[in-house]
Amino acid sequence: MTGRAGADPSGGRGHEPDIGGSPNRVGGIGRVTGRQQYVADIPLDDALHVKLVTVDAPRARIGFIDKAAALRVPGVHLVMTPDDLPRPMPRFGPQFRDRPVLAVGETKFHGDPVAAVAAETLDAAEEGARQVHVAWEPLPAVTTLDGSLAAGAPLVQDPELRPDDPFAGTNVLREHRYGWGDIEAAAADVHVVVEGTYEFPMVTQFAIEPHAYVAAPDGGGIAVWSATQHPNWLQRVLATILGLPLARVRVLSPDPGGAFGGKQHAKYEPLLAFMALRAGRPVRLVLTLEETFQAVRRGAARVHVRSGFRDDGRLAFREIDADYLIGAYADIADRTVAKGSYTSAGPYAIPAVRIRARSVLSHTVPSTAFRGFGNPQQIWAVESNMDEASRVLGIYPVELRLRNLANRGETFIPGDTPADGIWTEAVERAARRIGWGSPAPAGHGRGIAVGLKSGPTTGLSHATVRLLADGSVVVYSGTSDMGQGARTIFAQIAAHELGAPLDWVTVVMGDTAVVPYDQQTSASRSSVIMGNAVLAACRDVQAKVRAMAASLEDVPAEAIVVEAGRVRLPGRELPIRDVLARGLGRLGGEVTGLGEGRKEADPEHPLGGTAAFYEFNCTAVEVSVDEATGDITVHRYVTVSDVGRALNAAQVRGQDEGAAIMGLGHTLMERLLLDADGRIRNLGAIDYKIPTTLDLPASIESEVVENGDGPGPYGAKGMSEGALLPVAPAIAAAVRDATGVVIRDLPLSPERVWRALRERDAEAVR
Amino acid sequence: MRAFAVAQPEDLSEAIGLLAGEPAARLLAGGTDLIIGLRDGSIEAPLVIDVKRIRELDASIANAGGGLVIGARTAMTEIAADPRIRARYTALAEGAAVVGSVQIRNRATLAGNVCNASPAADTTPALLVFGATVAVRGPAGERSLPIDEVFVRSGVTTIRPDEIVTRIELPPIAGRVGSTHVRRTRRRGHDLASVTIAAAVLESGETRIAYGSVGPRPLLRVDSTGALADPGASDAARLRVLDDMFADAAPSAGSMRASPEYRLAMLRVLGLRAVDAARGRREGSKA
Amino acid sequence: MTSSLSLTVNDRPRTVSIEPHHTLLEVLRADLGLTGTKECCLVGECGACTVLVDGRSVDSCLVLAVEANGSEVVTVEGLALAGALNSLQQAFLDHGAAQCGFCIPGQLMAARALLETSPRPSRAEVEDGLAGNLCRCAGYEQIIEAVLDAAERDAAPTAARSPDRGAAAEADPAATPDANLAPQ
Repeated sequence: MTGRAGADPSGGRGHEPDIGGSPNRVGGIGRVTGRQQYVADIPLDDALHVKLVTVDAPRARIGFIDKAAALRVPGVHLVMTPDDLPRPMPRFGPQFRDRPVLAVGETKFHGDPVAAVAAETLDAAEEGARQVHVAWEPLPAVTTLDGSLAAGAPLVQDPELRPDDPFAGTNVLREHRYGWGDIEAAAADVHVVVEGTYEFPMVTQFAIEPHAYVAAPDGGGIAVWSATQHPNWLQRVLATILGLPLARVRVLSPDPGGAFGGKQHAKYEPLLAFMALRAGRPVRLVLTLEETFQAVRRGAARVHVRSGFRDDGRLAFREIDADYLIGAYADIADRTVAKGSYTSAGPYAIPAVRIRARSVLSHTVPSTAFRGFGNPQQIWAVESNMDEASRVLGIYPVELRLRNLANRGETFIPGDTPADGIWTEAVERAARRIGWGSPAPAGHGRGIAVGLKSGPTTGLSHATVRLLADGSVVVYSGTSDMGQGARTIFAQIAAHELGAPLDWVTVVMGDTAVVPYDQQTSASRSSVIMGNAVLAACRDVQAKVRAMAASLEDVPAEAIVVEAGRVRLPGRELPIRDVLARGLGRLGGEVTGLGEGRKEADPEHPLGGTAAFYEFNCTAVEVSVDEATGDITVHRYVTVSDVGRALNAAQVRGQDEGAAIMGLGHTLMERLLLDADGRIRNLGAIDYKIPTTLDLPASIESEVVENGDGPGPYGAKGMSEGALLPVAPAIAAAVRDATGVVIRDLPLSPERVWRALRERDAEAVR
Repeated sequence: MRAFAVAQPEDLSEAIGLLAGEPAARLLAGGTDLIIGLRDGSIEAPLVIDVKRIRELDASIANAGGGLVIGARTAMTEIAADPRIRARYTALAEGAAVVGSVQIRNRATLAGNVCNASPAADTTPALLVFGATVAVRGPAGERSLPIDEVFVRSGVTTIRPDEIVTRIELPPIAGRVGSTHVRRTRRRGHDLASVTIAAAVLESGETRIAYGSVGPRPLLRVDSTGALADPGASDAARLRVLDDMFADAAPSAGSMRASPEYRLAMLRVLGLRAVDAARGRREGSKA
Repeated sequence: MTSSLSLTVNDRPRTVSIEPHHTLLEVLRADLGLTGTKECCLVGECGACTVLVDGRSVDSCLVLAVEANGSEVVTVEGLALAGALNSLQQAFLDHGAAQCGFCIPGQLMAARALLETSPRPSRAEVEDGLAGNLCRCAGYEQIIEAVLDAAERDAAPTAARSPDRGAAAEADPAATPDANLAPQ
């Protein structure tokens, strides 16, 4: 079933759990009444307020930290410095244990905390932070690719952290090489070679909820509240760093107010944990928006693409060289480089590919996961390269994609999952909807681009489902619902499988003391991997109900089928509820099911595992450009994602349109600007602009391709990153179509477009 | 924020007395600039004086001898919506309508916009074009400042630290008038302007243009030749006049929002568009 | 030096002792326990802190609490009447307007203010009215649709229910898509 998410409210207000419909979001009522509690809202009577102490430099040597004046501020309880932490300084990080709980001896980015103050009131904490006197001197810092890569550049990371690494004496954290085929041989067959270098700037997640954390002593252990996407991962980090058993570390993860990857990995939770244990009381840290911009961002990148095409437009080879500017601590940034590179040649059948990508350390905000996970940067380059090629070849951009896209079932990356969708369908639908083939209005240009990203490469999620005596259901799932609607999906699955109305299903998330293990919420994995776990748990319940029915009805279990809330006996069928009522009998009780979603690791694979599925999106746009000012007007915007099955149509639409607008942000207006020393100049919302309701395309249309060809429940694939991937190259292609200018750096701000137009005019005169 | 005291005087002389007694005190009207400054530490004040309960100050827009008197507490929402301002002082209504968002406009006052003296302020070019007067009262009594004597540079005006704006007066305009406000921003959503222009074309053919965000203060220039208002004049001819009017533009090199080159180019582009629009509106207007 | 603040919040008279330098946002959240209003940019750009003060939508992060002495303040907690969601809230639910939800209280308050001044707004007026409320999750479309729908519902509360969303049938997916994408 293909479908477009309907805009009309349903007649049945959210009671139908039907898969593919648009029942109201589970958890929606809390969101529209203001009752939902985010981390900053959690009431804690005796919590101390925490403020971080930083120094005003991208890199500094830290000397003596004088706490005396701060401790004299009324209300200040605790001034935490490295002296108050174990020695050597505990370090953590998902890829390298490089990040200290507090910077010791040296700060490595502007905003790297050297101390933290806990006080009775926020005012006292702020005053206390002002009164901590830190002796420091600036050190030379590298904050650009060229700076970090220059011979003799100061090293960001201590080489001793990776003693056997040939790159240890450089700021290259890792180099990744992928590829197949013989480029040189393929080059012989080539009619046209198109190459170019593209830049993708530093941008930041800017979730509307700034980061916030709470920690409290909890019996002999610790309880930490964090809007983390990975509660179990955080639990492990804390347990290790505190020397506590997992069972003594409780992570409570309220729904994040937006995350987009920035809330995946531990940042200040370890610091707060130590402070809570030292203070003997809960402590709460709420970052300002400015501090949040100093905590998380996307890797910036410089990408060189060189592609060879045969005269029929088929790709003969593609070579990519990408450098990503990551931050001072590795976080998960190198993984974004690896994953973003591995598929960056695109969803195409290409005989020869060579990719080299490097993650380059710098004295800047640690870059981390951000929707798209390293892919948008290279897709910007590769899809722009395709657009340039289409012009040189004289083959239209849509046709060029159709000729080269891998077919479903075709292996397009040797050793990895074959193409798992009819990707040409998404392209054709997008092209048709934008009216490709018919002339654009005068002065308008059209552009099209595709984006591919591999889903999770490994995965493990557990789920528990309890079918209660009256047929209502409780689902336990460790996924983080950060707006993508995971809670609703799992409720829909349980409702559908167990025959409960949707509002008879409760989903419990976000508490490691209660909810079973989930590896993480990332890579658009949760509908598939956790979805399958929930589905399996429901099937486990169904199996038990089947046994119950067999016993009650004195019919062999093989003759009974339990599915979609019904028990089908020979000759009749009953709702599950009826069987339960009789089957539980005098002792009452409930039926519990356990389920698992698993994707095994493959140690031989460069990424540790093959793709569970791919996200694929085609975006087509129509724009006009005010040639006097450089303003781009987006008249029409079409986005088509290949999703297997849209489990909740309204939520899928919300995610895809949200991804489109977020993509328009980095395409048209977002960029973190550094000063000459490397500090971010535009911290906060006055000078870091994201799209508002006045910045929307005149029309935006989102569609999904549903061929039931995903590995998730009912044929679903993961989604919600795909629609972000091709936004920039689609818009740039449309600008090129409208004006003739090719721009290879982002954002396409009015000024940048204006400059390109003036250069074009100057060229024309020459 | 660092702590400060707040006074909410109910009459003007009490307010003036408080100002005189504490030279570092700041006046609070809409708060949309002051509170940001207090929070980020760029403004330090031990005392904040809320002007909104001062009985001599009001939020009205009153007719006065063919012109208008705008109270010190009048917010942008009212200015943007007032039919008299929209009809005769259109550039001011348009400037007020783009000051931030609805939430900001419900609070930000015209007087506050003047006193804050940002070179990029959206209403000050229009006030220059219409020859507004700013009435202030201090310990020595009342003064009337012509608007083109008010702005010195960013954050600095000729209003003394112990004076309070009581009203802003718009003089009557003889005959038909057409005016507009245009600006450059980084997105269509609200933003601080990197070029801001108000233009008015009068019955006499005089064209008055004020431009901001391209130097430390907004500047007023007048073309009395009638060249800009002449529908028969070529774009090239009009650009020559505009270039002359814009000769004192001095955009700062260090701005994040736009480069000097772009700003100067946009001055010309927007200047021509503003003049065209203003002239067109004059044709459509009543005397 | 504290002062006493007396105001009406969501129709309830409240008196609380506050610091003069605290904003209305801080007092609502920390002193009055109304955490529905959110804190984000603190510079009047994002609208997450939008409340109504004496009928006007304002960014409460830029209002000192003392300024609201004697005022009537409405926050998101005051929208529902006797536990029943108001038409805006219900429309937001029905249209899937809330994703992570963090911007939603501010959006609702801005929408409420808009509908009070323009009960039948055009789409452009809704975009303008919500332009001071940033959302990072949504493409804004479902929020805008919800506000337009709420305006309709308020205008015609007994109008017939719209057709069931889930039932709309689309074109047969098995049909071969148009192959003629060659340009003219």
